[in-house]
Amino acid sequence: MANVMHEGQIAVTTRQLKDVPLGKGWASTYAWPAIRRFIVTKPLGTIGGVIILLMALTALFADTLAPYDPYEINQSLQFAPPSLQHWLGTDEFGRDMLTRLIYGARIALFIGLTAAFVGSTIGAILGVVSAYLGGKVDLIMQRIMDVLLAFPLLILALAIVSVLGRSIPNVVLAIAIPIIPRTTRIVRSSALSIKENMFVEAARAVGGQHLRVMGRHILPNVMAPYLIMLTAQFGNAILVEASLSFLGLGTAEPTPSWGLMLSGSAASYAEKAPWVAIFPGLAITLAVFGFNLFGDSLRDALDPKLRHRT
Amino acid sequence: MLKLGMALLSFVMLIGLWAAPATPAEEQPRRGGILQVALAGDPPSLDMHQEQTFMVAIPLGPVYNNLIMFDPHNYPQIVGDLAKSWTVSDDYLTYTFTLHDGVKFHDGSELTSADVKASWDRIVSPPEGVISPRRTNYQMIKSIEAPDRHTVVFRLHYPSPSFLSSVAHPANFIFAKKYLDQDPQYYKAHTVGTGPFKLKNYVRGSLIELERNPDYWKEGLPYLDGIKYFIIKDTSARAKAIRSGRVDVEFRGLPPTEAEAIVKQLGDKVTVAYPKAISNWGVAINVDKKPFDDERVRKALSLAIDRYDMAKTLGPLTSLETVGGLMHPDSQWALSSEELQQLPGFSKDHAVNLREAKRLMADAGYPNGFKTVLTNRNVKLPYIDLGVYLISAWKKIGVEAEHKLEESATWSQTRVSRDFELLVDPYGSATVGDPDEMLDKFTSNGQENWGRFKEPMADALYERQSREMNEQQRIQLVKEQQKVILGKMWWIPGLWWTRVEVRSARMRNYEPQPSHWMNRRLEDVWLAEK
Amino acid sequence: MWQYIVKRILLMIPTLIGAALVVFLLMQVVPGDVALLILGSDQGGDVNIAELERLRAKLGLDRPIYEQFLSWLWGIVRFDFGTSLWSGAPVTEELWIRLPLTVEIAIFATLISTLIAIPLGTLAAIRQDTWIDYIVRVVSIGGLGIPAFWTGILVILFLVIYFEWSPPLVFVPLWEDPWENFKQLVWPIVTVGYRNAAVSTRMMRSTVLEVMREDYVRTAWAKGLQERAVVAKHTLKNAMLPVVTIIGAEFAFLMGGLVVTETVFTLNGLGSFVVDAILHRDLPVIQTLILLTAFVIVFVNLVVDLLYAWLDPRISYR
Repeated sequence: MANVMHEGQIAVTTRQLKDVPLGKGWASTYAWPAIRRFIVTKPLGTIGGVIILLMALTALFADTLAPYDPYEINQSLQFAPPSLQHWLGTDEFGRDMLTRLIYGARIALFIGLTAAFVGSTIGAILGVVSAYLGGKVDLIMQRIMDVLLAFPLLILALAIVSVLGRSIPNVVLAIAIPIIPRTTRIVRSSALSIKENMFVEAARAVGGQHLRVMGRHILPNVMAPYLIMLTAQFGNAILVEASLSFLGLGTAEPTPSWGLMLSGSAASYAEKAPWVAIFPGLAITLAVFGFNLFGDSLRDALDPKLRHRT
Repeated sequence: MLKLGMALLSFVMLIGLWAAPATPAEEQPRRGGILQVALAGDPPSLDMHQEQTFMVAIPLGPVYNNLIMFDPHNYPQIVGDLAKSWTVSDDYLTYTFTLHDGVKFHDGSELTSADVKASWDRIVSPPEGVISPRRTNYQMIKSIEAPDRHTVVFRLHYPSPSFLSSVAHPANFIFAKKYLDQDPQYYKAHTVGTGPFKLKNYVRGSLIELERNPDYWKEGLPYLDGIKYFIIKDTSARAKAIRSGRVDVEFRGLPPTEAEAIVKQLGDKVTVAYPKAISNWGVAINVDKKPFDDERVRKALSLAIDRYDMAKTLGPLTSLETVGGLMHPDSQWALSSEELQQLPGFSKDHAVNLREAKRLMADAGYPNGFKTVLTNRNVKLPYIDLGVYLISAWKKIGVEAEHKLEESATWSQTRVSRDFELLVDPYGSATVGDPDEMLDKFTSNGQENWGRFKEPMADALYERQSREMNEQQRIQLVKEQQKVILGKMWWIPGLWWTRVEVRSARMRNYEPQPSHWMNRRLEDVWLAEK
Repeated sequence: MWQYIVKRILLMIPTLIGAALVVFLLMQVVPGDVALLILGSDQGGDVNIAELERLRAKLGLDRPIYEQFLSWLWGIVRFDFGTSLWSGAPVTEELWIRLPLTVEIAIFATLISTLIAIPLGTLAAIRQDTWIDYIVRVVSIGGLGIPAFWTGILVILFLVIYFEWSPPLVFVPLWEDPWENFKQLVWPIVTVGYRNAAVSTRMMRSTVLEVMREDYVRTAWAKGLQERAVVAKHTLKNAMLPVVTIIGAEFAFLMGGLVVTETVFTLNGLGSFVVDAILHRDLPVIQTLILLTAFVIVFVNLVVDLLYAWLDPRISYR
């Protein structure tokens, strides 16, 4: 029975997957060879992966890489065009753009990754539990998810930030919450099809504990849709954070966040000092591009049905 | 000899006449044309008595008259509008206004003193269900009488030097008693006034259209055929509308960078005005939260700010460009430059100030600073930019302030509930910046004293100045109050904000006044040919 | 089948009520209310506490929460959506003014994106892992990553500098003056449509890939028919599935995009109206808009699922 799920940018089709239980030797038998194969067969995805890696390194080593202090106000340097001292120019407060972009990577990655991770993981857990327990629990969970899904992602995030206030933890939460139902739906359908698999029945018949059965058999097999969802949401989360900051409901000044750098007056300053409007946008685009390239290829690799026909 | 002399004289005279510059003919007002205005948002309702925003004052100004008003061509003089003249009793407790004859409402009925009384009663003691946000300005009014059709008498509780400027406030439209009696909320959705223009059309979110009132009681006015207010919420979009010539003027004020761009593009087709500063932006301190109860800490916070550098930095971005005390820098109430520099944080030697600040912090027990929260409103210009600068200034003495941005609704609540440590706090005047209006904030029970500091000396000074009819003496009292408040730094001044108003050069007989609420009737404004 | 439809429609109701409840509760928790905003003047200033309370009473904000919610629900049933707390006008009127603009952008943007996505996506799927596929994927993923507001800013910048463009002052509906309307909306439509095209192309590609992998398609392939004939004959009907899916799934995505785009291009549509209403704490408007959105999304999902079931009889449903 084919069970097709549709969600935003990706469509995932699951069939009965092979039972891949976690155990010893998983890394050497499955992980490393898989990675090598990935690099060879998916050049685009590898490029995406490299971009992500570079971004992560920039974020980690921001303190060493950045030439200036991202917060230091300098009246004499307001709107300085790109030069040898300031490769990407300065903004309206005389702060160095390159420095702020570098630290911006830290914010973008932190918020994006945390929100996507928290949202997807909670969503996945809820999806598995819901599918496994079935019955009334499943029904109620489904209804709640339906309600949450009825809100467009950005609007729900907007409303949440309005309630909680503008701070980094709140923004993470505001982005994570709409991700939960989207992940739950996909993981749940995946888990459902596995649940009916014989070996799970067998395991239960033998008297396996709920958690153990879920952990050993169901979980590894929903890894694929989970990972796909996760990587898809990374890029999305970064974009949502930028949109929220742009609308004035994300991170707050003087935090160097790419979306924030583009908000409000960047449009007015863009004529006087185009570098203020161009570079943060490029940074966002590049980051999301990298994550999506990688995620896209990952999906191709993980979904057995979509592998290139031999 | 005489003939030669006469000839010479005539010759010289002729040359004189030829060489003398021709006096330019006075430009005659041109009748006709529609003025296009960019407006920042929808009025919440059409009833100015109940609203607090320029989004009502600006589009509805032309539809009504007031009893008295600020002279649109001679700020800050007060002249009569519906009132032809007025007299004051010797004890300053009774003001008698004589109204013009033959003033008609838009529905044809004649205006009498009953209408003035009804409107003012509503403002001073609103009935059930009617809100009057500026009510406290009129505490001095005891009663209002209308002894005959063209006379209105105001009786006061005590002599008040601020009375006339309060009554002249642009929001005090005169409504028709007939409709107020019919339905106290009538004016929320309807407009029946005596003004030079009538409401023609209102498309919410889009456009407010006014047309000439052909029966306007002032002969020959208005010159314009009509006025269109286009509702454009985004500041940048409003600026672009002027740039492209689609609108003629923006009545609230534009950021300096936008004004620059417009001038660059349109050159002398636009006129840019920088009327005097109108609002003061500073920081309110919640004195019940440690360590802000310690005067030394408060002074240190003020000393850490290099206001002159701040003006240079923020000026081009936000129009926050003037350093001043608690009253308008250009007014008679302002502290002089010397007086100002005596106060903590206002002297020009920033290095000395910084050292002093650090010393005070150490004295108070915080040699390494402390963490705090600066609550601010979620609006970029100038709130957020000011916050960013202040935070970076305080870093220098070790005070790490988290920038907590709240949307307008939340921020309004926070002020009232005092859920803040430091709060960016603007205040100003829609008119002339009368001390009664401005300094009530700096009294112990002042409604807008968000930090709730208590300073009995200031209270006493305020009480006295509000009844002091002699202006020179009043000025002294006002200056004293400022020195007391700032001496102890109960409130940290930042900078004063100046409006930048851009208008088409075709607009004639119009000068922007400091506040964006003023001079909005436009009854004698005209548009020249292209 | 009919049982299924009826069941799904009935299930919509608790979902919608749930959404309304969530919004209502959310707005109760949010600090600050519309009365504060109405009275709090432009620069902070005078907020007379007594007047505040009177205004709150006037607006009915002092009634107990459940009473406010229930009276609103009761109104919905009678198609009375209440009055805006900010403007005092009926919510229906406020919505009606802004609806044509948003709907127009939505429809045209979807049209553009679908017209681009179908051929490109199919092409990329058929030629999977070839350079055509790579290009299409890179372009579409790249397009996906570009923030809508950034393109908006750049587009506006370009237009302002080189064409002395300015945002439209008054919206001109399509039926009044098509050319003027086109001039006003072409850029927002392109901005939204282009991004959605990127999303749709990827979706199209993956769903076409799946369809192509189906056994019956491979069987037809094995039979040796011309490639084109296989695709055309056997997959066409099933290719409708992805199209239907795209339009349906994309709808919610579209709404988010509209909010940002309308803000950047300063258009008076439902998207920017929602943001305004949230900032103003205009509860009746927010509730109605959210309900409307939820209804549309749920309805569209229902239609998609039904069409799906009809188009692909192999799919069963519980």
